[in-house]
Formats: sequence, C-alpha cells, structure tokens
Amino acid sequence: MRIVLYLHMHQPWRLGRFRYLDLGSGRSYFDVDRNLALFRGIAERCYLPALDRLIRAAREDSGFRLSLSVTGTFVEQAQVAAPTVLDRLRELHRTGQVALLSETYYHSLAFLVPPPELHEEVALHREMLRREFGTSPTVLRMTELAYSDELARFAESEGFHGMLAEGWEGVLRGASPTMRYCAAPAPTVRLLLRHYPLSDDVGFRFSSSGWGEYPLTAEKYAGWLAATPGEVVGLFMDFETFGEHHSARTGILEFLSALPEKVRAHPHLGWATVDEAIRGPPCAPLSVPYTMTWADQNRDLGAWLGNDLQRSAFEAAKKVGLAVRQTNDPAILTDWRRLLTSDHFYYMYVSGHGADQGVHQYFSSYDSPYDAYANYMNALTDLRRRALERLGVPVLK
Amino acid sequence: MPGRPYHIVMVGWEWPPTHSGGLGVHCYELSKELTRLGHRITFLTPFSGPFLEVDGVTMRFPGAPGAGGKPASYPPAYWAGATADSPFWNATDGYNSWVGQLDDLAAVDIVHVHDWFGTEGAIALSARLAVPLVMTVHSTEYDRSLGHPWEHILRREQIGIDAASRVIAVSRHLRQQLIQRYGADPGKVRVIYNAVRPTGRLASIAPERRVVLYVGRLAAMKGVDTFLRAAARVAPQFPDALFVIAGEGSEYARLLHLTAALGIGEQVMFLGKVSDDERELLLAGSSVFVLPSVVEPFGIAALEAMAAGVPTIVSKTSGIAEIARGVFQVDFWDVDEFASRIAELLEYPTLRSAMGAQGRWEALREGWPERAREVVALYREARDAGGLP
Repeated sequence: MRIVLYLHMHQPWRLGRFRYLDLGSGRSYFDVDRNLALFRGIAERCYLPALDRLIRAAREDSGFRLSLSVTGTFVEQAQVAAPTVLDRLRELHRTGQVALLSETYYHSLAFLVPPPELHEEVALHREMLRREFGTSPTVLRMTELAYSDELARFAESEGFHGMLAEGWEGVLRGASPTMRYCAAPAPTVRLLLRHYPLSDDVGFRFSSSGWGEYPLTAEKYAGWLAATPGEVVGLFMDFETFGEHHSARTGILEFLSALPEKVRAHPHLGWATVDEAIRGPPCAPLSVPYTMTWADQNRDLGAWLGNDLQRSAFEAAKKVGLAVRQTNDPAILTDWRRLLTSDHFYYMYVSGHGADQGVHQYFSSYDSPYDAYANYMNALTDLRRRALERLGVPVLK
Repeated sequence: MPGRPYHIVMVGWEWPPTHSGGLGVHCYELSKELTRLGHRITFLTPFSGPFLEVDGVTMRFPGAPGAGGKPASYPPAYWAGATADSPFWNATDGYNSWVGQLDDLAAVDIVHVHDWFGTEGAIALSARLAVPLVMTVHSTEYDRSLGHPWEHILRREQIGIDAASRVIAVSRHLRQQLIQRYGADPGKVRVIYNAVRPTGRLASIAPERRVVLYVGRLAAMKGVDTFLRAAARVAPQFPDALFVIAGEGSEYARLLHLTAALGIGEQVMFLGKVSDDERELLLAGSSVFVLPSVVEPFGIAALEAMAAGVPTIVSKTSGIAEIARGVFQVDFWDVDEFASRIAELLEYPTLRSAMGAQGRWEALREGWPERAREVVALYREARDAGGLP
C-alpha cells in the first residue's frame, strides 16, 4: 500500500473595498498590503514551520514522499511577503522526494470559461514552475479538485499522464477509492483518488475535541493507514492544515513530524509521489460525467456557483472576458484573471444551516455574501469600462 | 399554557391609532400576544383615545368617567421636547400622580412601565401593591438628545432603572449603555428585540422612478442629513432614482435647506408623516430602504422594510444591526459608503432580489409571539426574585 500525501498551497488576491463611487478612479481592486500581511502571518504560523519539518522528514527518511501544488498567486505573494517560503520550497523540492503538480495559475474556474482560457492559465502555471523550480509536472490537479470526463480529455490533450479527483461514493458506486483507475474517455490519464475519510480526519477533525477519536496521534493514524485495504491511499488536503486551520498548539506540527516514523513501523506501507503512483499496470476505467469537487457535502460546484449571486457574478465575469481578450492589454488581462480566482465566488456563498456553514464563514474575508458580491461587481464593472475604453467603445452610462 | 395567567398593569404612553409612534405599536403588539397567552392587561395612558380594541386589554386614562385624575392636553409627540416649566411637564406630573394613586385595580401581578414618562407613578404603584416592577427601555435620553440630555428626563429614567426588578433593553448596545451610563445591575438587564407582524403585504409595485426610501422621524439622531448627502453623490448617475423621506420632526426645515443646497431638489421628495397603509404602499414600491441613524436603539422601520422584501442599508450602531445579516451595515458618518451601497443596490438586480429575500426571511422568522413568551418568562423571574408565587 502506497501513501500519496498531497498538499495544496494557495493564497488569492483578495479585493479591497472597491466602492461604487470608486468606479473610474483608477484605484487598484486588490488590497495588496492586506494580502501580504495575511501571507506573512500564515508563513510564520504554517508555511515555514511545516516546511522545515517536511525538509527534515525527507532528509531523515529516504522513503518519504510528498506532492505539492503551488498556485501562481501564491508564488506572487510569497515573492514579496516571505521569499524564505520559496527558498524552503526549493530546498524541499531539491531532495528529489517531492513532486509538483500542474494547475491553473490563478486557482481559477477557467475550466468553465470558453477556450483558450484554461489552456493559457495551465501554460502560465507551467512556465512559472519551470522558472521557479525547474520542473515540468506530469500530473494535473484542477481548482478545488474539480474533475470530469471533459477535464480528463483536456488533461490528455495537454500531455498529462494523471489527474487528481475526489474518491466519492457517488461516482465509485461501491468500488474502492484505494484502487488504481484511469479516465474512461482518456485511458492514458491515470486517476489518483482522495480518500476523504482519512484525509478529513487530519484536515477537518484533528483538533475537534468532540470527535470520538480525539486526540489523533501519528501512531493511531498510521495504524488506520495500515489497516486500509487497497493499493494507493490518497491523503489530499490544504497545506494550511498544518499550523493555520489547526494552530500549532493543537499539536498538528508534531503529528506531521512523527508520521513518517510511525508509518515505517508497518512494513507493507510506503510513500509515493503522484508521479510514482500513476505508474504501473493497467487499471479500471472511471467515468465522471459531471464536475465533481472536494467541497461540501455534495462534492459539486455549489460552493462557488450554487446561488444566484455567484452565478450572476461568474456570468458577468465571463462576458467581460470577451472585451478583455480583445484589448490585448496585459494589465487588464491580469486583473480579469485575478478576478476569476475561485475564492471570490466562495465568499458569495450564502450560508445555510448545514455542516458546511462554519467552514464557509471561516474562509470568507467579508462580513456577508452581499458585501462580497457588491464589491466584486464594482471591480468587474470598472474593469469592463477600462476594457471598453481601451477598445474605443463608448461606455453607456 | 405554562404558569398561571397574570394581570399586568402596563404603564404606557401612546396606543394606536393615537400618534402610533414606535412605542405605541410595540405596546399594542406585545399586549395582543400576551392576551393570546392568556394574560390580562390594564393599559394606562394619558391620552383619551380613540383606542384600537384588544380583547383582554382594558384601557385606562385620567379624566375618564369614574377614573379620577383630570384630562390633560399633551404635545403630539414626546420628542417635541419639554422643560420643567412647560405645560407638557405639568401634564407628565399629573399623569404620574394619577398612576401612583390608582386604587380600584383588580389583583395585580406585575407593573410594567415603558420608558421614562410614567416611572414615578409606576414605582409608587408597584410599591403600594407589593408587586415587581418591570421596565422596558426603548431608547435613552442620552441618545435622543445626542448627548445633551434633559436632567428631569434622565432622572425619571434613572429611578425606573434603579427600582425595576428586571429591565428589558431592545438591543445589546442599549443594554450596555444601561449598565455603563445608568449603573444598572447587569444581572437584571435582558435584551428582548422588537419584531414585526407579517401583514397582507402588497405585491411589489414598479413605479416609474426607482424609490430610495427613508421612513422615520426627522430628528438629529436619525442622520437624515447623511441620507441626503449620500443621495447627492448617487443622484447624477441614477437620474431615475427618487429619494423619498417619509416622516416629520424638528429637523424638517434644516433638511429642506440642505436639499436645496445640495442641488438635488428634483430627486428628493418630503412626504411628511404617512399612515400605516401609505407606508406599506411606499415599501411595496421601493428599491432600497436606508436607516442612517447616528443613534438607533433598535430600528423597527428597517425591520418593517426587510419584512416587505426591500433591500436595506442600516448604520452599524443600530440595534437591528445586531441581528440582521442580510442587510448592508455602514458607519453612520460614512456618506460615501452609504452612497456606494445605495448605488450598488440600484445597479445590481441580483443583489436586490437576494438581499430582499434574505431580509424578508430574517424579519419574519421570529415575531411578536416569540417576544411575548420571552417577556412572560421575565415576569415570572421578577416574581420569583420577589418571593412571589
């Protein structure tokens, strides 16, 4: 049994308050200072201490393997706010025990925008990885672990050999999430599935004292991994799990440090990067006719495009894109792409009363979804005016 | 019904349809729900009616045949201000002594006084009958006067808060003020919010011009000048927008001058005081409701707008901001932010409908029946604390 530990690193360019009265003012939509301050805080609490531990783990245990994805907006912020985070990432990558994954540069919903947006954003991200880490990934992960047959065909056309997806009963229909699969419409694309109960034990439940298994020790967890039948177990989660979502005082960093050793105690367990895990004999085809994600109870796009506000904002963004593309103006194009980052739509989620409510509130940078929507629409309206002005089209109103 | 029925003497001021300010409506709605729970109310007011009748509520006022006291004339609204030598002041004294001397009441369980008007009489009455006094504070003199309180009104508030066994504040913000400014024992001050009653709301009307509405008194604490200044920022970009101000008060002339000075006279309309029916009609035809108050212990007008499905903007200091999520909340001094929020609601239809629906749900999910139960629980607590069954 091979363990694929995959951690996702992302920070969005959050908007500042961009008032309706700010339209046409030339002000930036993004509160750069606030974003960088937030980044520095998370770097101190999470990125740096957790990366140090991972570097040590890789050095001490030649069998330890890890996979990482790093968004373009994350790297942009790290370069200014905390360059040491990038140094540590390179150091970790140089151990040769770490694989990097491809994705969209802007952590965006580009896969729902007319071509060639998705292709271009993945290409931008590839370029960034080559420049920053000198590597070229073979496995693709889409924003929020989005996956569908269509995306598998996209991955194939882009030359990827693997994709990540949620190991969700809804599509597995009784099959095991720890077996090896490939995409039904594109058999050269191998699939690695997230084992969500084991992933969420660490990602969500680790620090909840009300949980029956609390406190979770590395030894206990390694025991669970050892008892899990199958060939590959995918532990996919946010990197911020270690020190941010669960603060250092919960013991999460010690858990991370201790895990490799506790895994070694079980001889049939071993680690694999995503690149290693997709190699091997042929496997069963899996078909996912709709877009599946790793979010919420429904594992769909509901967290980003579930309500009228979100859909209206996204449709407006797509429409503005038509004008933006024609301008060929890099500043306008970059602002637009930063506005396609999925986080903006997540902030417009109207919380209900389910288990997902707390999760959404934790991640939002606004007081309410209505604040988020109004602010976003102001920025987008301003961008549209800029694009039209650039094209010499008279702006109505 | 848990517990036995109480006979409550409510020492009030106005009662609909007389004046029908927020205080009168509050007493009316609360009393109606209390009688539904099986309790009886004797409602004391200085006014001689007419009164909307409610089964189980007996109206008493000075000068009524056989009621003792003498009829007095009162100004149309208590915010008109009063000094110790005005006729209003004498009349308030007269009301209080009449309340304190009432001696023909059937066995009383609770005396419940609203705001400062009747505190002296209510204290005397509850002491003589040896029953607990409960006081509801709807606003304080500090707030109403924006920091320049009348001493005699402060005193009447203070003695009520001191003497009451339990005090009801209509928001957390107000409760804090009662503790800090009036030295109220935190253990006896509870927050019970206001509510609105669902009515047979009119279907939404789409008027020729889009209406941005303010309903309320024209008093300094209400921040209507902020509303006008924000209107002036928005008006040029939305020529079809009409800023409607419904209400009357001492600030009227000043606000009219401000409108002229801002050069937005063609997009502003002062309606004066409107009836309940007119208000409902206005809400049905409004795109945005604004409550820009500098000080607002609760803000029932905003809750009514929400219940009517009108997207609403409130100042952060208002009591309603403590419970409403589906509204925009703005610092009361931030003219540009009010202007932007108004413009955003006029500009983005999806935002209007989403906030309208959310506001309506929030405003109506709990109502007077829930509030009345909370009040009864407090009566019970007050009697327990007094060692009474």
